[in-house]
Amino acid sequence: MSTWTTVKTSTAPVGPSPTAPAHPDVLEVREAPRADLRTDGLSLGYGESVVVQALDLQLPAGSVTAVVGPNGCGKSTLLGGLARLHAPRAGAVLLDGRDLARMRPRDAARRVGLLPQSAEAPDGLTVRDLVRYGRHPHQGLMRQWSPEDAAAVERALVAADLLPLADRPLDTLSGGQRQRAWIAMVVAQETDVVLLDEPTSALDLGHQLEVLALVRTLATQGRTVVLVLHDLSTACRSADHLVAMLDGRVVAQGRPASVITPDLVRELYGVEAVVLTDPVTGAPVLCPTGLSPR
Amino acid sequence: MSATAPAPPAPASRPVVPPPGTWRLAVAGRSVLLERRAVLVVAVLSVLVLVAAAASLALGTARVALVDALPAALGHGEARDVLLVQRLRLPRVVAGLLVGGALGVAGVLLQTLARNRLATPDTVGLDDGATAFAVASVVAVPTSLLPSAAALVGAATAAALTLGLAGGAGRRGYRFLVVGLGVGAVLGAGTQLVLARAPVDAANLAFPWTVGSLSARSPLAVAVLGAGLAVALPAAVLLGRQLGVLRLADAVASGLGSRVRRVRLGVIATAVLGAGLSVAAAGPLGLVALLAPEIARKAAGPRAVPVVASALAGALVVVVADLLGRTAFAPVEVPVGIVTALVGGPYLLWLLLTTRTRRTL
Repeated sequence: MSTWTTVKTSTAPVGPSPTAPAHPDVLEVREAPRADLRTDGLSLGYGESVVVQALDLQLPAGSVTAVVGPNGCGKSTLLGGLARLHAPRAGAVLLDGRDLARMRPRDAARRVGLLPQSAEAPDGLTVRDLVRYGRHPHQGLMRQWSPEDAAAVERALVAADLLPLADRPLDTLSGGQRQRAWIAMVVAQETDVVLLDEPTSALDLGHQLEVLALVRTLATQGRTVVLVLHDLSTACRSADHLVAMLDGRVVAQGRPASVITPDLVRELYGVEAVVLTDPVTGAPVLCPTGLSPR
Repeated sequence: MSATAPAPPAPASRPVVPPPGTWRLAVAGRSVLLERRAVLVVAVLSVLVLVAAAASLALGTARVALVDALPAALGHGEARDVLLVQRLRLPRVVAGLLVGGALGVAGVLLQTLARNRLATPDTVGLDDGATAFAVASVVAVPTSLLPSAAALVGAATAAALTLGLAGGAGRRGYRFLVVGLGVGAVLGAGTQLVLARAPVDAANLAFPWTVGSLSARSPLAVAVLGAGLAVALPAAVLLGRQLGVLRLADAVASGLGSRVRRVRLGVIATAVLGAGLSVAAAGPLGLVALLAPEIARKAAGPRAVPVVASALAGALVVVVADLLGRTAFAPVEVPVGIVTALVGGPYLLWLLLTTRTRRTL
């Protein structure tokens, strides 16, 4: 998994650079430029209701951040806000100090990639067809398939370990393979920030680990990876940084081992739990013992 | 997850590998990717459209040899043939081609936007709106340009009503469809009301807009449709690229940098243009906008939104249906709208009965 790396063909001023090499060296080892993603007093909402309230958050580059919290706490809305799906009510999402909402959608999409939960592919579409869509923000009417596109799609397929399956229709794959194909689409987008909404839900344990291994690779390449996870145990195992949300506010954040306490679990979920330490990874392990008395 | 490193590339002149099944044309940093299957489908459909057009020009009460039909349309050959073909049949075939093309484009755009193959201009009320306004305009002030303009306004009104009441087309395709059915029913009733209350002469004048027929249509309305299609088809091809990602989900498209709202607006506007002007030219043609994209998708596969193939399939369906209606029961002429409904109806039923679980476009 560690043999491929990201090659950024253009840095800083986003846009096709005329001086970019025509044929990027696929093996060139270069770390992705680290993105500085943060929110500044960010409020998000639908209609009358405010779902995320005045959030100041910094999302560390090169690591996996998991946003956790009970249903309806605003974690998916926050992810949508980071991905420009929802316009901020107040405040802003800042990428390297620039307001994401003021960037051209295409430019923003070259820096921030998103895999939402509801994604669905037309019947018969192959893995490679899907991954090719990841190049959309890099392409144009007169730039439909550049050398960079070819290289990026190939790299994404390798990263997701899908090269042997590249020409199979998505509907013939297992759930885990299909999910990796969707993530590969976002990988082919070659963004510094990758946002994934519940990437492991509806997958069995083996497939979850497949997907999480891919997620880990993305972070080791220097990307800012943000996951929304409803399962706290998965979050503890897979994330370097936890953001715990309740009622649209962040109630705790930091390394899982330092954040997860019985008090926090009670506050978030109304559940009594014993927190142990994983003998292998040192991550906290949750043993729920029952509902908290009301 | 073991991964092998990609083979070390040779520096400089390494050729770009296009995705399987595509041709890549590249000049000076610009590149265009052509799906081989799509190109093949467009070529085959073009030939079929030409053959159907030639047959339609040649066949009828007075016959012209099939091979002479297309030259005669261009003014070559015997004077009798040229007169027959150019004066009598060509306007009708041209109207059929344009109407079919416009409906095919409008259909594929709306279906893809709503992620529902039943969401076509006729099912979501655009045709009904166009018909109602065209009929009302003819009954009120019978002038020649007005039906086109009125049909366009009618289709736009229906689209606005449907979209407004359904709260958008994207996320809730089924709702868009159901509301569209309701809006269409109301506007259809409006047409009936106008016809019932109008004086007999005016109602007779307006009647052609209520049945889809290519017989003795206004040349001006056909010309306006031609101009509209000249705008709508390129717009649809551009929108088709964006719709390709919008098919996956609105959020995916946004994440990939697509301006979802703008694309949606463009799709609706283009569908209104195509459906409205085609109703003005030939009245409502049932199910063409459903059949044409279906044929195109089956033939071209799921990779891209088959805009051009749908236009060609629509032209083919309308020209063939009109030919059948004209010749099958001669001397009685069956309006093309009835033929397309007769063929399309059973197909629609088959579609509804055989569609397992949910199929996405």
